[in-house]
Amino acid sequence: MAQVAYAGASRVYPGANSVRAVDGLDLCVGDGEFLVLVGPSGSGKSTALRMAAGLEDVDEGAISIGERDVTHLPPKDRDIAMVFQSYALYPHMSVRDNMAFSLKLRGMPKSDIGGKVEEAAGLLDLTTYLDRKPKALSGGQRQRVAMGRAIVREPSVFLMDEPLSNLDAKLRVETRANIAALQRRLATTTIYVTHDQVEAMTMGDRVAVLRDGVLQQCASPRELYDTPRNVFVAGFIGSPAMNLLTLPVDGGAVKLGELEVRLPAPAASGEVTIGVRPESLSLVGAGEDGFDLQVELVEELGADAYVHGTLAGHDEKLVVRADGRTPPRLGEAVRVALRDTGEVHVFDPESGLRIDAD
Amino acid sequence: MTAVVEAPPSPEPPSTRTRAQQRSSAWKRRAPLLPALLFTIAVTQVPFLVTVFYSFQSWNMVRPGSQHFVGFDNYVDVFTDSVFLGALGNTVTITVVCVLVAMLLGLGLALLLDRQFLGRGIVRTLLITPFLILPAAGALLWKTTMFDPTYGLLNWAFGIEVEWLSDYPLAAVMTQIVWQWTPFMMLLILAGLQAQSREVLEAAQVDGAGRWRTFVSITLPQLSRYLQLAVLLGAIYIVNSFDAIYLMTQGGPGTASTNLPYYIYQRAFEGFDVGQSSAMGVVVVALTLIVATFALRLMFRAFDVSRGVK
Repeated sequence: MAQVAYAGASRVYPGANSVRAVDGLDLCVGDGEFLVLVGPSGSGKSTALRMAAGLEDVDEGAISIGERDVTHLPPKDRDIAMVFQSYALYPHMSVRDNMAFSLKLRGMPKSDIGGKVEEAAGLLDLTTYLDRKPKALSGGQRQRVAMGRAIVREPSVFLMDEPLSNLDAKLRVETRANIAALQRRLATTTIYVTHDQVEAMTMGDRVAVLRDGVLQQCASPRELYDTPRNVFVAGFIGSPAMNLLTLPVDGGAVKLGELEVRLPAPAASGEVTIGVRPESLSLVGAGEDGFDLQVELVEELGADAYVHGTLAGHDEKLVVRADGRTPPRLGEAVRVALRDTGEVHVFDPESGLRIDAD
Repeated sequence: MTAVVEAPPSPEPPSTRTRAQQRSSAWKRRAPLLPALLFTIAVTQVPFLVTVFYSFQSWNMVRPGSQHFVGFDNYVDVFTDSVFLGALGNTVTITVVCVLVAMLLGLGLALLLDRQFLGRGIVRTLLITPFLILPAAGALLWKTTMFDPTYGLLNWAFGIEVEWLSDYPLAAVMTQIVWQWTPFMMLLILAGLQAQSREVLEAAQVDGAGRWRTFVSITLPQLSRYLQLAVLLGAIYIVNSFDAIYLMTQGGPGTASTNLPYYIYQRAFEGFDVGQSSAMGVVVVALTLIVATFALRLMFRAFDVSRGVK
């Protein structure tokens, strides 16, 4: 059990125009916490994880695990276990040997190893597969072996690098819940990398959003969703993405078509970027307070339908959540109302930062 | 019940018809391969059968009209010929030592090459060069520039005067063969090293394995297939070594560095003894087959690392 702390940690790939894959990362993962690193591809989330594992150099700053500074320690001295995207099972070893390998290296007596492996296998439903080679396992079973290999070590930190991205959709949802439950049971500090924001929102105690190697925001999933710190986080978290529109301010309000939206926060400049989640908008009858939307695409998901359209008289695109049973037809013009002005997020159009009410 | 009994006779005629049709269509499909098959038989199997036929004859080309059937006499002679047995011993020594040394050197070089450094491409090309040089040219190069007692580089470098080719003929020949075959081993093993998954090596690191342990427990087992191939191909080629011995030592001094191909060559083209040399040829083919099918398989079973950590 330990906390992991990044202190201004950077990874710089040298070259003519050197790339800062991770740039001055300051992040503290508490003891027993499940932290999810999320971001689009190339955001440096995997690099940040590999820095904690000792598989990437830390060029600036420091990383500590527990009370120990591990910045320049090799992976084997860090007391961590890692689950790789490809699982990285040893192809020539049976499941049992795969899980026992690290314990053997530690010089643990054979009888203890057997017990630990059996215990982990029981936890993961792998008991009947212990003598098989990885080649003879399905994707989901391989994933569980990779988890088992991490668990038997009883490390102070789990590092997981997109462990679910090679599974099919149904299995992914199932395994997602299993991993989260397992982590809660073991109460081991975990850093989990994913590009899938649904995984990030459902699994993490806290979620850290990265972009181009820079930490954008680190907060609980709820907070990330309700008060994104900047335009990037606002657009990245949530599916479908938040509607972001840059509009001129006129007397403390902006005009969404015919609808005048009073800004909850005072805007400094002549323009603001406002963000409205699709569920903050709703379809209403003609003549009610709202604005007109030209429907261009309707995505029906069963319970809900997402209506994509253009604001009448503008070329701004908007997404509105509608009732799945009575969706509008393509090409139709619909009336859209805003549920509550408090649900409008306001950002500075230049810096992209959130402008708060107070 | 009767229906069941009556049923079998009727489907039989159509099934034979379709079988005949299948056979003819199969032949039609295979017919284009026939010329290649005939060619292969003509250039490999027919000469071998002719050799087997000669091996039962007493026939020396120096004495015309001496050809007659002698049964297994030639084979008996071959196995009581101490020079043949010596050459057999030399062949085994050359093959085993050269394959092992070339493989170990190749493994070392491949491990060194399997990392990023400045000028890697140039180093790799230079290391492959011995394999690209004509074997005869390589042999002459070693005989003259390296081993020559008066102006050879080896004596000059160590400041000694050793008659390498007459004092250590077998070692000298083996040095040349190792030099020639190390790049081949290196290339094969390098391919194996680069086929390894990087994440698996990283997983081993995280699991607490140091460099040596990773090499022994992860890399080597995954390389075993490449090593087997390297040993097999290397052995097949090195058993047949001729150029180095012919050009460097002529099998001498005496028969100290004579191997089987060279001895057969001598008996056939210097002694003109067709019967004896044919019998030796047949014996060599048989021994090579036995080694290739049984001995190597046995060896790999004994050292089977792919079964994992015991």
